[in-house]
Amino acid sequence: MRLIKETHIKFMDQRRFAFILSAVVILAGLVSLVFQGGPKLSIDFKGGTMIAVTFNEEVDITKVRTSLSQVNVEGQTFDLSKEEIKSFGGPSNISIRISHQEDEPDNFAQSVINHIYTAFPELVPREPKDFILSMEKVGPKIGSELRGKAIMAIISALALILFYISIRFEFKFALGAIAALVHDILVTLGVFSILGYEISLSIVAAFLTIVGYSLNDTIVIFDRIRENVKKRQRESYPETVDFSINQSLSRTVITSLTSFLVVLILWLFGGEVIHGFAFAMIIGVVVGTYSSIYIASPIVVQLHANAPTK
Amino acid sequence: MNKKLTPRYVIIGLVLLWAVYSLWPTVQLLTLSEAEVETMREEGKYGALESKAIKQGLDLKGGMYIVLEVDLPALISNLAVNRNEKLNRVLEDVTEKMDQPKADFFVLLTQAVTDHKLRLPRYYHEYGSSIDEIITNLKAQADDAINRVLEILRNRIDQFGVSEPTIQKQGDHRIIVELAGVQDTERARALLQSTALLEFFLVKDAEVTNDVLTRIDKILKGSDALEDIVETTVPEDFLVSEIEAETPVSDDKIISVSELFGETDENEADSAVVDQRLFEDRPFSALLRNFGTDIGIPEKNVYAVKKIIAMPEVQEKLKAGNGQFLQSNESEQITNIDGQQENIFRLYYLEKEPELTGGVIEEANAQLGSQAGAASGQPVVLLDMNNDGTKQWARITGANIGRRIAIVLDKKVHMAPSIRGKISQGGTQIEGFADMNEAKDIAIVLRAGALPAPVNILEERIVGPSLGADSVKKGTWSVLVGLALVLLFMLFYYKMAGLIADFALIWNILLVLAVLASLQATLTLPGIAALILTVGMSIDANVIIFERIREELRKGKSPKTAIDSGYARALTTIIDANITTVIAALVLYQFGTGPIRGFATVLFWGIVISMFTAIFVTRTIFNTIAQRKGIQRLSI
Repeated sequence: MRLIKETHIKFMDQRRFAFILSAVVILAGLVSLVFQGGPKLSIDFKGGTMIAVTFNEEVDITKVRTSLSQVNVEGQTFDLSKEEIKSFGGPSNISIRISHQEDEPDNFAQSVINHIYTAFPELVPREPKDFILSMEKVGPKIGSELRGKAIMAIISALALILFYISIRFEFKFALGAIAALVHDILVTLGVFSILGYEISLSIVAAFLTIVGYSLNDTIVIFDRIRENVKKRQRESYPETVDFSINQSLSRTVITSLTSFLVVLILWLFGGEVIHGFAFAMIIGVVVGTYSSIYIASPIVVQLHANAPTK
Repeated sequence: MNKKLTPRYVIIGLVLLWAVYSLWPTVQLLTLSEAEVETMREEGKYGALESKAIKQGLDLKGGMYIVLEVDLPALISNLAVNRNEKLNRVLEDVTEKMDQPKADFFVLLTQAVTDHKLRLPRYYHEYGSSIDEIITNLKAQADDAINRVLEILRNRIDQFGVSEPTIQKQGDHRIIVELAGVQDTERARALLQSTALLEFFLVKDAEVTNDVLTRIDKILKGSDALEDIVETTVPEDFLVSEIEAETPVSDDKIISVSELFGETDENEADSAVVDQRLFEDRPFSALLRNFGTDIGIPEKNVYAVKKIIAMPEVQEKLKAGNGQFLQSNESEQITNIDGQQENIFRLYYLEKEPELTGGVIEEANAQLGSQAGAASGQPVVLLDMNNDGTKQWARITGANIGRRIAIVLDKKVHMAPSIRGKISQGGTQIEGFADMNEAKDIAIVLRAGALPAPVNILEERIVGPSLGADSVKKGTWSVLVGLALVLLFMLFYYKMAGLIADFALIWNILLVLAVLASLQATLTLPGIAALILTVGMSIDANVIIFERIREELRKGKSPKTAIDSGYARALTTIIDANITTVIAALVLYQFGTGPIRGFATVLFWGIVISMFTAIFVTRTIFNTIAQRKGIQRLSI
């Protein structure tokens, strides 16, 4: 069985269209980012408290919000009704995301949980310990440290990859690959911003996995180009690139399809905790496949045209 | 069989044996029934088995992850002699700057000392005469302190009884504690954070106390700072009079409170409870109550009182009087004049310096109070003191008969009994616990000893048992479904070759798990996600090879040559493509913590092993097939 027969698609002729498409998507993402004052960072990077609790039955979020307008902790009253409260993987679970409060006592998060627990006596599980799904509290200092680390991780991954490809291929290939990676990250970041999803530690891990995946794809194509450039010297450079992409198209499609399948399953059935990660991966698989054909390769062609002596 | 292939089969066989050996404990553990677990626990074999099996991360098992930091400014301040305002200011200055990422305390301290022209030897003459020397020695003290904290926390957790706790140092001054399966997180947190600083202070006379209250009232009267404080708790409109209800401020205001919050009357009591007129005249006393012979603070006023006491002017007055205010550990519920339930804390005015500290405690045990005592049937902690402590205790009690002595743990007063006579046996008991668990925990921390400095919680993550179980179920489920779909697809698309790839894939997953088990690595939820990605990577390697072989076959090559050149060509591609992902995984491992590391570990081994299975294992099988005589077609 063959899904993809021999193809002769002129990918390089479509590159202008692809560049415009990518530019539009990235621009839309950037506009959204500017409007929202940067990506929506999770408490991992901003500091704050994230609480997820479960009720016996469906719970009205507005009621929870009202009850959170006055939370008394050791004589200090907090108004938490403006914080983000939403359902968490089902109508009977809710999550509350609280930004860092001034003069926050040590047992703040626990007190908030206890407050909700006592506010809805008829809706909560009998044992308080069954009420808590998860609780995360990140101090502002750790938050900014993690932010720095995440940025360092992405930059150093890109730098190391640039270095590796420069050695194994040519520098222009490295530039093409990095352009594709930056493209992938920008698109994913933009989609997250438009949909209002937050960037957490696990999303950064997803970004780095996308980087690895997209690169994998790109290099398989580059490898073919490298091989074909030697064999088919009579052809023009864009023709060779087109030929190489067509040759590896079958592999690209099958691999993307299987990868897409597994992350889709993860997204559908993996549960709430891993939902955001799986979503980032879905975008990453699609965009990564696209970018290795329409971003990385055309840039190599472009760079080659600008330096024809090589 | 061809001789050339034999060593390959030997290697594959050995790897398989090793994988089965590494995974065996995990399989055993998963198939144990609860009764068997019980017997193994009793025989003490369970722990050994558990340590050989794949560990589940906190996100799967449920539990608690805490990052603690030793409060260095407090430690350095504790080490100083002749502490004064100037030193406090410098330390405060440094504390503020510590919020910046990557701030190093001692670098900042050195800088602040030079900036403020602080004469360091004045406070730390024991630690050297030059600034550099003192800083070096203080640094050594801090290192020593963190190690002691580590040791003490280990001790406490051991006594608390958590299976397989992880307590490790991170960086210079941080400690990461992971407690899997802990359910009472509130208790665990208190146990970790308690400094366990036990002190005995004499309580000042009622006259002196009243005097200092009046003085504070005088300071506060007309002070602008006060308005800020009370406003943070209660906007001025909400100052509702409840006690001495002869002139309630006005009914309108009470209603307005209720209307504002759109709630019933019960909630209106949420503002600080003060009498308006009394508040203008005696701002501090107005927040307090008479509570038996003691001073009481209604729970709602606690924060305001704390804030007032922390004001610099008030602190100065207290210092001049050589005293300090401390609050009781537990609130007591009473019914006030209006018939409402109210929680009241006690406030004590104590001598500044402790008479005795917890260093003299030799043994601490929690039990129920004896029949005769006041705390009959209540949980108490019995303390035994060493020789030195016994002598001092006898001297203190003997010299202060009739006065009250406050037993203070971590700056909270547990009780303040009157001394009836000289105590010469060196024993005492502490009361005032919410329940037996609390008394037990206090006994643990007192036995394990006081921390040399307080610790602050920087980060805390709790996963409840139900969410963890849910994650395991859904994670396993999605791995299985994803795997099944991919296996079917490969079989359908590549026929015989697909079957070989499927075999390699299952191998791949087993090997990754075996590596995890033998590395004693932890499987986290992101780790499961990485396992799924590994499936993708492993399939990719096979797809690259198979597509190449197909190409070669289409060119009319024989199966054997097609396999040879297919593998040869695909090899560089696979290596180049996978090494970049390995780079990403290594970077993640380097920068990540906890779950992210779990992800990176699985991803790394997944890729390495997928290269082994795709290049080595499937190749061997293909070669075996190709070497059969007369093979004309390859099922691919």
